[in-house]
Amino acid sequence: MSLRTARALTALYFTLSLLTTTWPGMVPFARVEPMILGLPFSMAWVGMWLAGSVIVLWLLDRVERRHRDPDGGEG
Amino acid sequence: MERWVFITIIIAIYLAVTLTIGLLAGRKQTDSVAGYVAADRSFGLLVMYFVTGASVFSAFAFLGGPGWAYSQGAASFYILTYGALGMAPFYWVGPRIAKLGRRHGFVTQAQLITGRFPSKGLSALIAVLSLIAFVPYVTIQMRGAGIVIEAVTDGHVPLWLGALVAYGIVIAYVLSAGAMAVGWTNTFQGIFMIVIAWSLGLYLPYRLYGGIGPMFEGIREARPELLVPPGLTAAGEPWSWGAYSTFILVSAVGLMMWPHLFMKAFTAKNDDTLRRTVILFPTFQLFLIPVLLIGFSGVLFAGTPPSADFILPFMILETDLPPLVVGLFCAGALSASMSTGDALLHASASVVVEDGVMQFTKLDERRQRSLMQALVLLTGATAYWFALDPHSSLVLLLASAYGIISQFAPPVIAALYWRRATTSGAVAGLVAGIAVAVFFWQNPALKPFDMHEGVIGLLVHIPVLVGVSLATPAQDGRHVAAYVD
Repeated sequence: MSLRTARALTALYFTLSLLTTTWPGMVPFARVEPMILGLPFSMAWVGMWLAGSVIVLWLLDRVERRHRDPDGGEG
Repeated sequence: MERWVFITIIIAIYLAVTLTIGLLAGRKQTDSVAGYVAADRSFGLLVMYFVTGASVFSAFAFLGGPGWAYSQGAASFYILTYGALGMAPFYWVGPRIAKLGRRHGFVTQAQLITGRFPSKGLSALIAVLSLIAFVPYVTIQMRGAGIVIEAVTDGHVPLWLGALVAYGIVIAYVLSAGAMAVGWTNTFQGIFMIVIAWSLGLYLPYRLYGGIGPMFEGIREARPELLVPPGLTAAGEPWSWGAYSTFILVSAVGLMMWPHLFMKAFTAKNDDTLRRTVILFPTFQLFLIPVLLIGFSGVLFAGTPPSADFILPFMILETDLPPLVVGLFCAGALSASMSTGDALLHASASVVVEDGVMQFTKLDERRQRSLMQALVLLTGATAYWFALDPHSSLVLLLASAYGIISQFAPPVIAALYWRRATTSGAVAGLVAGIAVAVFFWQNPALKPFDMHEGVIGLLVHIPVLVGVSLATPAQDGRHVAAYVD
């Protein structure tokens, strides 16, 4: 994957995360049912975005490292 | 042996270990200002991870988080949301800041901003605003430590004494060893916080309700309004979406602008360490989930704590846990308080000397370090004085601290990414943003859509910064090239 794509996708993930955890994007997800892993849906929803950000940042880092020059420049 | 004596011994052991780590850490560090403020730029991944995690999550998260979940329900979900959002941009911004730090010798945030926008007044303004935001934050940490110790020792160790001992230790290692001590004690304390939060957060719902699912099903039957965002206000009224959303926004923007966190970029050994810290940060942040579960476990529990912020020690004491566990929990809560308090004290002294005093007189390195140490004491004493006053309205001040701190974001971003920004633009923007935030903080009834005053401040700040910059002559190209690639 190119650096540009990886950065764009990361930005997209965090933009979506902000839009769907604040008004008005969160309104459809602000409910109790269905419960997930015992948590009310809205709590699982914000928890999912948090857990997902670990994976997204890790994937971004893999791509960034491949494109970075060996002396630790900014890429 | 009496229960409270046993608990007190565990706390004493914990405090002794913290002090030892703090004092030993300083022996590896040079006597320079870069040593005291930025630990000679030597932190590796393990230390950076816990320094960042433990300094972000304070007594406010550890005691206030469960308190919110307990009394305001889904309103507390906002604290799960903003951390990763606020931290992610630092994957790119962090290494740039670190590079400029190495190139120009910066150790504070204001040095970076005024490096690009030279102005003694701007530097002093940032120092003063930082201090105004810091003092209530330290006070909250001290009160948190005192409250926990008082609660678990059945009042045998009163608040004033608990806070004094815990912060006497913090001040001792911050004075002697600076950033290195903050780093290594936070590593120890960070591990403590995570282990305690996860084990208690999973244990309490099982012990009391037979599981997390049954606990929430019970709450759904009895108090369904607690489970639907945006939850409730402290008064029990429905909270507004405007406030919920803008709390997330202002916290995400403000998070890394706290000088004590921003300055961590100058302490990392290399860029890879910084990037790894950003990537791993959300894993630390996941510990807020069990922290909130602790609060929810109190909702259907018989009995009421003296105030929502006491829900955590209250649950610990009411569920007949073994004294060893109570002692360890207490150490975990103290960790949360002390690991933020030390970073705050350390940063406030560094900021006042480097960005305030040094702008107007020249001191040699030895005098600078001594002055910083005097200021650590002075800030600590001021905060302690406020911490003893039960009627102080500092909680209100702290809520607004984010309104001030978030105003540092536009000048930082402009310094690093916008060639056309000028010193006049940066100063005008900051002054306008702060003025608007303070106005709406004083007149909450006038806030449009119940928005956080910090966000309203930013809505004025950014256009003023852009407008005034464009209306004033551009900066010299070679000067700008040193900051914007």
